[in-house]
Amino acid sequence: MAGYSAIIVEAKNVDYYYPGEGENASPALSGVNLTVQQGEYVALIGPNGSGKTTLLKLFNALLTPTNGEVLVRGIPTTNEETLPEVRRTCGMIFQNPDNQLVATTVEEDIAFGLENLAISSAEIKRKVKETACLLGLERLLCQPPHLLSGGEKQRVAIAGILVMEPKCILMDEPTAMLDPAGCREVIETVRELNHRQNITVIHVTHFPEEAANADRVIVLNQGQLITSGPPEDILADIPMLHSLRLQGTAAVELAALLRKDGYPLPLKILHKRELVDSLCSLERKS
Amino acid sequence: MFIGTEKLTHTYMPGTPFSTEALQDVSFNFQKGEFALILGPSGSGKSTLIQHLNGLLRPTSGQVIFDGAIVGSNKRELLHLRRRIGLVFQIPEEQFFSESVYDEVAFAPRNLGLDEKVVAERVEEALQKVGMQVNTVKSWHPFRLSAGQKRLVAIAAVLSLKPEVLIFDEPSVGLDPAGKKNIFNLLKDLNQKDGLTIIISTHHLDEAAVLADRVLVLKQGRLVMFGSADYIFAQRKRLNELGLALPQVTEIMHSLVEKGLPVSTEVYTLEQAKSEIKNIKRRN
Repeated sequence: MAGYSAIIVEAKNVDYYYPGEGENASPALSGVNLTVQQGEYVALIGPNGSGKTTLLKLFNALLTPTNGEVLVRGIPTTNEETLPEVRRTCGMIFQNPDNQLVATTVEEDIAFGLENLAISSAEIKRKVKETACLLGLERLLCQPPHLLSGGEKQRVAIAGILVMEPKCILMDEPTAMLDPAGCREVIETVRELNHRQNITVIHVTHFPEEAANADRVIVLNQGQLITSGPPEDILADIPMLHSLRLQGTAAVELAALLRKDGYPLPLKILHKRELVDSLCSLERKS
Repeated sequence: MFIGTEKLTHTYMPGTPFSTEALQDVSFNFQKGEFALILGPSGSGKSTLIQHLNGLLRPTSGQVIFDGAIVGSNKRELLHLRRRIGLVFQIPEEQFFSESVYDEVAFAPRNLGLDEKVVAERVEEALQKVGMQVNTVKSWHPFRLSAGQKRLVAIAAVLSLKPEVLIFDEPSVGLDPAGKKNIFNLLKDLNQKDGLTIIISTHHLDEAAVLADRVLVLKQGRLVMFGSADYIFAQRKRLNELGLALPQVTEIMHSLVEKGLPVSTEVYTLEQAKSEIKNIKRRN
């Protein structure tokens, strides 16, 4: 497939209406056009109900568009025969890991996807172990998933996807239930998979600090794609974010408050480090 | 002591190969009217602990104490206890089962056998507390609500019991920034205006830190830190070692201090941070 296309997923004029909502229902997505390149790290932000999760489900063929087309490596998601390929290409991590843990032990759970492929059990064991080590789960392999904490469960869910070696990982608020250390671990792991193995990441998040680390940030509101660009443009646009009831990073928000009070801070502040450096050099001058 | 535990130990599946000691010798107490936080990394026993506080789980050993009495195992007493101590689970809207917002909020008071007129008053009051008008929303299907509204209705469904203590397991998980702000404004009002004791188990301090009076920290089932919010939040290094993080804005203040700027680090909101930074000039 190499050279077939650098585009991993593509939405063309996509509308999506949830069934059974009546004729006057507003669409969950309308007129969405989006292409994501192999190896990109994309953050998807927007208020609750803006269509973020719906879009992810379209990329994984859990849903198919009402109008328009979704392509995964050029394959339309409506094609039944190629569904397994589409779903192996784009693995999904849900917000609540309880929704995707199925087996009686962690080891079996991580192995679940592999067991549906023609792979020897020794090979499955090796791959499961390797993935578990990568996510710090090796101690838990014999535990039943329902006895794990929320954070541990989510890492098991991620392991279950990673072990399938997807080209693209779709993540729906994957850190919402994790502690700060767990968040960092998951984000760093995914970032590393993105850097080292060129795995595409599409990451839905309500945390501006997470979105700030993406290559590109896409903003959805009421089912429409509002804007898209590098984090330093999108996440520093406080008027736009606030008009959608969203927030910038703490550094962006604080910089905006100080600017209002006459602090001549540069506009491109995104991370804590940049704000701290700017404030220090201002204080030195005064 | 208003609510707390003495040498509380809880073992899941004792006597089996899966036996896990979730809590060990945990002793603490919170005062009436406090806004308390229970912190700890994933798997530290936070959810196990809060389920003991309203009698959903029974201690393997040790005691839970509420309002001067040991929480016993008598079924009638436990029912009474759960009326006084409301527990709001993580993502509580997943437990919705009624056809209308009204029925959802009315479920608990109806279960108490209250007169339908009293139930109506309870529903109206509870919805009003969370900022909703009963006449507008009563016939709505709960699934028609936005994520933030669903969470508010779920809280109203517990408020309709008129509890004295409200316990939350991660109250704002999965909500957008505006929804989070809404929930924490509500918790602040319930605590400060209505005098409810609020206990929150959480990992995320961005919204909760400014409201906290006292903080309890768990690690692997043991109580490792307990004290006033400022005392606990001042121990940044220890919290970081435990896998916990201060609010982003507090982290900014710490970085400014490291660079030699004279600012306080007891700062948990953007407004506090702004005035601290503006004070630098006056101090110099």
